[in-house]
Amino acid sequence: MSNNLLVLSAAGMLVTAFLMVGQKALFTAIRLYGAQSWLLGVVAVTIALADDRPPLFVTAALTAGLKGLLIPWFLMRVVDRIGIRREIEPFLNVPASLLICLALTVVGYRVSTGFPEGARGVAHHVIGVGLSMLLIGLFLMVTRKKAVTQILALLTVENAVFLIALGITSGMPLVVELGISFDVLLAVLVLGILVHRIVDRFESMDVSRLSQLKG
Amino acid sequence: MTEGALAAIGLAVLQAAGMLALAPLLRGLIKKMKAALQTRQGPPLLQVYYDLAKWLRKEPVRSDTASWLYVAGPRMYFATSVAATTLVPVWMAAAPLEAAGGVLALVGILALGRFFLATAALDTGSPFGGMGASREMTIAALAEPALMLGLFTAALSAGSLNLGALVRGLLDRGATFHPSDILALAGLFIVVIAETGRVPVDNPATHLELTMIHEAMVLEYSGPDLALVEWASAVKELLYLTLLADLFAPIGLATSASPELILLAVPIWASKIFLLAVAVTLVESTNAKLRLFRVPDLMAVSLGLGFLALAIRFL
Repeated sequence: MSNNLLVLSAAGMLVTAFLMVGQKALFTAIRLYGAQSWLLGVVAVTIALADDRPPLFVTAALTAGLKGLLIPWFLMRVVDRIGIRREIEPFLNVPASLLICLALTVVGYRVSTGFPEGARGVAHHVIGVGLSMLLIGLFLMVTRKKAVTQILALLTVENAVFLIALGITSGMPLVVELGISFDVLLAVLVLGILVHRIVDRFESMDVSRLSQLKG
Repeated sequence: MTEGALAAIGLAVLQAAGMLALAPLLRGLIKKMKAALQTRQGPPLLQVYYDLAKWLRKEPVRSDTASWLYVAGPRMYFATSVAATTLVPVWMAAAPLEAAGGVLALVGILALGRFFLATAALDTGSPFGGMGASREMTIAALAEPALMLGLFTAALSAGSLNLGALVRGLLDRGATFHPSDILALAGLFIVVIAETGRVPVDNPATHLELTMIHEAMVLEYSGPDLALVEWASAVKELLYLTLLADLFAPIGLATSASPELILLAVPIWASKIFLLAVAVTLVESTNAKLRLFRVPDLMAVSLGLGFLALAIRFL
């Protein structure tokens, strides 16, 4: 039962990552990130119940609360405030991006068998999905123009790393996890301010314009 | 042997009749739930039946330039949709006519119906028919491979392309998930949305000429012809949802022909369809319709998920 739930949520996270690659509405992308964080919370709760690791409940609550609600809300507010076009403009078109992400997923899954924990059972899928999402997140970061979408990509990578950590380790100390959560929150806040500054200066969120800043 | 064949035909007729009778109810249900989400009262649950009855009583109005193709279109569409229901397990873990074909036959039969409807739409030479047909085929060309990939993924885990054997294989395997199941489910769900003309792809409630796809294709039909098209579309919708339920939650299907098991299977099937209908309603109510040129992107996502599901099976 718990194995099924783990596989279900992990695969659900991969689906949200793929949907993020495949569509261009900014708000939908933010909501997808929220859904992804909730699924990560479910993964954490399932592992906490199955392996009897109570500290993971705190992690799950933090994940759902901070990454599932607070950060999506904040990002939507930023987008609302600066009044940009709510469409993502990637450097690559959607079908090409999807093909590349397909290949990345296969690579991620293949690599996951290299971990001693990844060779068998459910951990194989959790680590495989985590590595694939990590690669997809990195890909999104380099192919998206808008600063907010790059933040989303960074957050996806963070979710992926978290998922891999859940799959491989028997759990980090609670203090470390608390620290990571607040780091992410701070990073998003700082990046939000940065986005405001970029928009102030260039009247656009397109970071490719930053390359015009030459002395 | 002949007795077995007779029993299969009897079952096929019963199942097709059941699907025909219940399909309009699903449409009405989705309309009602959509209205509830918009805090409207909405049309009565049985409105689709009233509409069908009204159209069937009326006299068809056909263009003078229409050939036999125009008349054949709705009939072929209806016939293929009904024929397709006999290839899918609905209440029993066996399709009535599963000896006649499996997944490929199902996809082929549905494609045949679509081909005839699209050709019939071109027949009168009206611009709307042509536009609708071209759009429908554009989307179908992308949705069909995605549908096949999703079905193949399920077939791979059950070890058979025959839907009856496939579902029995899934039942034997028990409730264990593989990530590829979820990926295939997500891919197939997008296909179902596209094939049934639901919101991110098409809007079943609009007759605004620039946005419609399926409605543009059947714009010229009236009376009994229109009733056949609408009824067949409803059957197809119910069929797709049943297929999703079969492939990803086959629990509850009657494994033998005993009456108790079948009586138990029907409400379980109904609740699965209801849950899927809720999902479709939520997707329809929370998404804006995509621009036509964005639709291929969505279909590419579903194709990608299908490929990935198949690939992960082997990793």
